[in-house]
Amino acid sequence: MVLRDLELRHFRNLGVQTLRFPPEGVAVIGDNAQGKTNLLEAIYYLECFRSFRGARDAELTAFSEDVFHVKGVLEGERPVTVAAGFDGSGKAKKVSVDGKEAPRFSAAFGRLGAMIFAPADVDLVSGGPARRRQFLDVVLSLNRSGYVKALQSYRKALAQRNAALRTGANPQAARAWDGTLVEHGARVTCLRAEWAAAWAEPFASYCSAISGGDRAALAYRADVGTAGDGAEAGAESGGSGAGVVGVVGGGDAVGAAAATGEAGEAQVAEAYRRRLAESWPSDVRRQRTTAGPHRDDLILTVEAPGRRVPVRAFGSGGQRRTAALALRLVEAATIRQQRGTEPILLLDDAFAELDDGRSQRVVALVEEESAGQVVLTAPSESDVRLRRPSLARWRIRGGVIEA
Amino acid sequence: MSSIDSLVRELRRLPGIGSKTAYRLAFHLVKGSAEDMKRLAAALHGVADRVHPCPVCGNYCEERVCPVCADPRRDRSVICVVEEAYEVGAIERTGRFKGLFHVLGGRLSPLDGVGPEALAFDGLLSRIDGEAGEPSEVILATNASVEGEATAVYLEGLLRPLSVRVTRLARGIPVGSDLEYVDGTTIAEALAGRREMSA
Repeated sequence: MVLRDLELRHFRNLGVQTLRFPPEGVAVIGDNAQGKTNLLEAIYYLECFRSFRGARDAELTAFSEDVFHVKGVLEGERPVTVAAGFDGSGKAKKVSVDGKEAPRFSAAFGRLGAMIFAPADVDLVSGGPARRRQFLDVVLSLNRSGYVKALQSYRKALAQRNAALRTGANPQAARAWDGTLVEHGARVTCLRAEWAAAWAEPFASYCSAISGGDRAALAYRADVGTAGDGAEAGAESGGSGAGVVGVVGGGDAVGAAAATGEAGEAQVAEAYRRRLAESWPSDVRRQRTTAGPHRDDLILTVEAPGRRVPVRAFGSGGQRRTAALALRLVEAATIRQQRGTEPILLLDDAFAELDDGRSQRVVALVEEESAGQVVLTAPSESDVRLRRPSLARWRIRGGVIEA
Repeated sequence: MSSIDSLVRELRRLPGIGSKTAYRLAFHLVKGSAEDMKRLAAALHGVADRVHPCPVCGNYCEERVCPVCADPRRDRSVICVVEEAYEVGAIERTGRFKGLFHVLGGRLSPLDGVGPEALAFDGLLSRIDGEAGEPSEVILATNASVEGEATAVYLEGLLRPLSVRVTRLARGIPVGSDLEYVDGTTIAEALAGRREMSA
């Protein structure tokens, strides 16, 4: 897809503006705190109808305004108009596609086909497992049909089961949720494992290309693939290298099963059922569900002399940023493959914390791989780096964009 | 408080009615004839005075037991379990079910404070007489939602020791719909529950 027009009304500090984007993209240049990231946030809002920075809708509304509205006109095989509005006085949010209100937000997800990369993404790598699960959930929700529904049903069953465990009066009633938990949990696990298995190789080659030779790897650690409390403790400590590698092995077994489709899903469901039975005493004791995909992780490792270590614990700053950027490039490649459309790349000061060598190699990668639209922000002309000769330059000051 | 205000306040307590709709309804009533309003009030009175849950199945009725439970022509070997009383009507309208009903009065939802003790499970169990072999089948017709499914699973666990056949409504493609527009989960269910075609 190509974003052609963007209409903004009171989104953060951007005021009321209509912008026409060149098909190739644009470099938005401006000092700090002028609204560069806000612009990318507004564009990405049309992809999944929430802030990529995790801000609440009320925080996206300009000061002294109640309502914001963002509308994008997209060109592609089939042109489409996506709009989203939020009314803070009634706390109501509306999303529409081609003027028709979407019954559920998820029905309008992913129309843009955009990937956003920002310096804060380093926490994809250095943050906790929840951050990486969220990454997987977003990527798969946008790209795999059936994932959103499975995830929502899983979360609902999990919340109900935990509530039943907390009431404590009749713990057996909590087991009524096991069936749904296993059914949807197995689907979630399999789709995640399948994605990780399919993209492990590209991830490694992106990391190698950006770093100039580092050998990194990505694996899905499925909780249902681990054997009880011992492995769990190893994963949680996350420090001792040997323990983690063992767990990765367990995850791979599930990954292999998951990749075999329907039969694999039945196998994973069976493993999950066993895990739930095993962990029942501890579930009752801790009054929450201790087994399932809500405890999974994406394990990123890099080769050190003689062994493989988690980037999260042992990687250098540069290695973490590289791994984060590689994850985002894999996300873009997923969009390209699953949706058959060239992703729109939104790069927020992407080269800020990379050394010269890495920046140049990233630029080379992006220019080689992505023929699509690029909207990038930079504090100054020299930080644009992307050498697409015709890339337009816009200036932004106090939220006002000069094309 | 004025009469209109108290009417608005009562209307607002109904599900799906916000304050704007409550005002609109109240003024619609006031604008209409006093006769109409009195008829509505009388209807409410009638319901309040005469309607009560059937002591056997939990459906609402005016007689001692509900017409379905009282009807000697109904098939006593099958009980169909539903979440809410209004779902009895949905099944009755099909004209295809001749058995008895049991209304649970909701579904398991610990998040909303609804546990097994809040639903009419005991009433259902007491209706199953293993020695007489009646009923021989219990159909679990709770909704195909996460909560409805869990309620069915829990009930199945309670019914299993009672040597009664327990069945669940089929899940799948809605009649008259295009496969193209059916979501993946439903298609997967329909595939799993496919059946032999008989000539």
